[in-house]
Amino acid sequence: MSPSLVSKDPIYVLNHCTKYLARDNTDSRHNYGQYSDDDPRCRISEAWRFPLIDSYNDGQDSQLGSGSNMVTFVHVNRDGRLGDDIFVLGTFADLYDPIPLKQIEDSIYWSVSVVVPKGQSHRYKFLGGSRPLLDPVNPQVVTLADGSQWSRFFTEYCTDMLCFESWEAAVLERLTDHILPFRTTEGQRFLNLYYKELDREGKATQYARAYRLDQPVGAVNFIDKLVARQEIHRLMDYKICLEQIDRVLRTWDPFEEPARMPSTAFEDLYGALASNDRSSLPGWDYNKYSSPAFFLQLLRRHTYTGAFSHPKHGGNSGAAGWSFLSANLVDPETGKLPDSARGPGYFDWSRALEAPLGRNVEYQG
Amino acid sequence: MSGTVEEFDAIVIGSGAGGAPIAHTLVRAGKSVLMIEKGPLFRPQADDPMRLSDYKRDELISDGPEKKLTISGLANSGASFYTSHVEPDLNDEPHIYRNSDRADYATIEGYTCQCVGGGTQHYGGVSLRFSELDFQLSTFNKGRNDLQKDFTAATQSELRDWPISYVDLEPYYSQAEKLVGINGTRENQIKTASVDNYQKPLPPNPISEYARVGMVSLDMKPYRTPQAVITEDHAPSGRKVGNINDVNWDGGPKTAFVNRYGDPLDYKSNTWVSLLRPLVKDARLPFSLRPNCVVTHLECELGKISRVHYRDSSGRQKMASARVVVVACSAIESIRLLMLSAEQSSEFDRRINQNDLLGKYFLTHCFGGASAVMPRRFDKSLTVDSDWATDFCGTVDFIRSKRLWAGGTIYNNTSDQALPVALARTHGATDLDTLWHAFNNETSVVGDKFLDFLNGQFNRRLSVSFMANQIPQKTNRIELHPTVRDKWGRRVAYIIKQWHPHDKYLMDTMADKCREILAFGGDGGKGHFDVEGSGGVYQSENSLARIANHILGGARFGNDASDSVLDRNCRAWHFDNLYVTDGAFMPTSGSGNPTLTIQANAFRVADVMLRNNV
Repeated sequence: MSPSLVSKDPIYVLNHCTKYLARDNTDSRHNYGQYSDDDPRCRISEAWRFPLIDSYNDGQDSQLGSGSNMVTFVHVNRDGRLGDDIFVLGTFADLYDPIPLKQIEDSIYWSVSVVVPKGQSHRYKFLGGSRPLLDPVNPQVVTLADGSQWSRFFTEYCTDMLCFESWEAAVLERLTDHILPFRTTEGQRFLNLYYKELDREGKATQYARAYRLDQPVGAVNFIDKLVARQEIHRLMDYKICLEQIDRVLRTWDPFEEPARMPSTAFEDLYGALASNDRSSLPGWDYNKYSSPAFFLQLLRRHTYTGAFSHPKHGGNSGAAGWSFLSANLVDPETGKLPDSARGPGYFDWSRALEAPLGRNVEYQG
Repeated sequence: MSGTVEEFDAIVIGSGAGGAPIAHTLVRAGKSVLMIEKGPLFRPQADDPMRLSDYKRDELISDGPEKKLTISGLANSGASFYTSHVEPDLNDEPHIYRNSDRADYATIEGYTCQCVGGGTQHYGGVSLRFSELDFQLSTFNKGRNDLQKDFTAATQSELRDWPISYVDLEPYYSQAEKLVGINGTRENQIKTASVDNYQKPLPPNPISEYARVGMVSLDMKPYRTPQAVITEDHAPSGRKVGNINDVNWDGGPKTAFVNRYGDPLDYKSNTWVSLLRPLVKDARLPFSLRPNCVVTHLECELGKISRVHYRDSSGRQKMASARVVVVACSAIESIRLLMLSAEQSSEFDRRINQNDLLGKYFLTHCFGGASAVMPRRFDKSLTVDSDWATDFCGTVDFIRSKRLWAGGTIYNNTSDQALPVALARTHGATDLDTLWHAFNNETSVVGDKFLDFLNGQFNRRLSVSFMANQIPQKTNRIELHPTVRDKWGRRVAYIIKQWHPHDKYLMDTMADKCREILAFGGDGGKGHFDVEGSGGVYQSENSLARIANHILGGARFGNDASDSVLDRNCRAWHFDNLYVTDGAFMPTSGSGNPTLTIQANAFRVADVMLRNNV
């Protein structure tokens, strides 16, 4: 299994590396709780950007879009300390067939770009100075059952659950359901019809990338990816607070699994989190997390963003959130919903976006 | 440090509105130019073999994920912030401002973009000329006895006419409009043009009709807002539009991914696609563009800049020299670079600080407006940002009738909150430092109420904005912060400014006009439509940080070396070869968005350089 290599011009790598990696500072100005003090990533801005995950176009049929991403691995080789032979090996290719990185012009950056299908997660290591190395920049590290550690990346539209246990995801799903408008009768009807319509029309690509249909618009999947990468510093908020929420719900009803509790329980839970009233959250350990209301605010931002941002980030499955806006906002003068037969309603999101998700004839994504 | 010093006819630091016209003109005249840009060269699809752009139509790219401010000793240390992929990380290179509580805060305000094209990559593209009056506000106000009382003799004493007139700049306005690529209409503008180089605007978004009706009802003659977006093939830059006049064509620039987004296609007329790329494409031309390189300081020998010191993309120290050095990093960063250079050399210090004016008279604009939920809903994503503008508040009659010292321009914004994440992110936010605050705190908005929120807000809001002159004050200034340093160990910029009482009066006056436009536009000309919000920026929570990304002044130009930092051609007094051509040169901030004026002036300065045989 040899992945296709992509020959990008050197300036591409420099354009996407310099702001983050070129620097003199030795202080920990980029550590806001996500790293230990001795972690060199503390010095680096937006370490989560590495490896670079970008669009890919094989040039074969742009109207169908690409089912792959271009993944660019970068290793800093300051003063040539790692010698001239730096490789990357990982599950995206044959684990025993390392891929060489090349120096970008005369810079300190060594790099290689490969094609990796969308919707996947992989582990990898560098080989430098004949030693296996974790990516010193990418904060995503996984530990396997045998104790070995690997760096990890995932491509767009990934639906592997990377951060949350199944019980955590189930509770989180109930909370995001409560926030979003899709749990209303009309909202649920729309989602059911929307996904059915997608299937009937054979939009295979979107359907395949739509996260579990029992999870409206995939907000939980979006949050899972967000705290795995861009907002990894917020993973601990979720881990602590979901544990506390589980405890509160079990205090309220010791005989029912939290994720199976009736919607009234989650309405009460939401209200208690919002109130910040200590008496309303029995069992919450305030020494571990002092402000449930803060967590709720965080969850609101993440949930909304997941429901209405580009589906490649893991939420808004099949663009259901956007389509909801197109179909379910009324004419203020008549109170009537738009006639779907006459056009895209009040938000023609598809017109601006790349195929096959959208129908723009110029923009490639 | 490498001992090699590369030599050029000119070095231009910064690739935005102030730098690109200089490079364009000099290179076309056969001069060798090195352009150094701190940020990356993010390219549109047309420049990439795979036809993929570094800019995306993706709402999560324009304001990015949450980061937290770690700089100790600031009043907002620990606060969350959100920056786009072309803005600096505040923990690496913040702007610090002093708030009314006299505490220091870091802010993203005052940054445009750090990328090739600078602020022209992310701006909304509004490309207004300044009015004739904007060039002579000192003369206009001298001896007036009809001004509001808050405009005092001391205020008058701070004013300076520009050392050039509208007539001097007019040919360069026309040149900029032609070479950059701007659509709009001339009729009803108070700014006369020797030639109409506008391209034909696209049909406006239907929601903008409320603004037009309001303007017409109030006898504010509207015109289509000049905008740096091409709507026809653009010969000077070789850009072509698709089937743009077919309303059923699924292409073109009307997407709402305009303001705060780089354009993945070639429609927005940023300086890369309009002025720089044509140079790069012609390998015969003596043009070297170095993105991802940051200039750390300038070195001088007597009155000549002898070395430009910079870090390359690997952070290694490099040097270059040229017969002419142009600083155009956007005003705050340009002032900072000059001050950092003065720290390195007493000779540089003595020359650049030959008076006490460097960094003083820092300006932005008086700005604000009104916003309302309009009677009907329209798909606002089908827009390029602004549709209608009026010069009504820039006329002498209006200015005198309202006892104002200067005027402004009003235009409507169509693309704001036209996309769903932007709606929640900017809901109730007063600036880029307060994104998400209101939405996150309104925890009662769930389920049905969430749908009510969307029904009440999405694609129904329309805002009308004003952009007007701010009174220059010497105490409004840029300094180097005493303690906070960037990732290279250099002191960061420190912004100290206040609004003048007359600024507040002017903003109240202009905001009321914006409110009237919506009040009259919303009910077909009766004037009773409910406008829920209007005001000037001075009323916002952290108004002292607000800069509108119109970063002006701090190195004003003039005819008197004792009273200005730059001469009338933007050359630093007491330097033979140092020019500053971003917005820093402006003694007053003008009655509209400044980019076109910065570009026009840069074309003018480049002509001067050629005449002087650079």
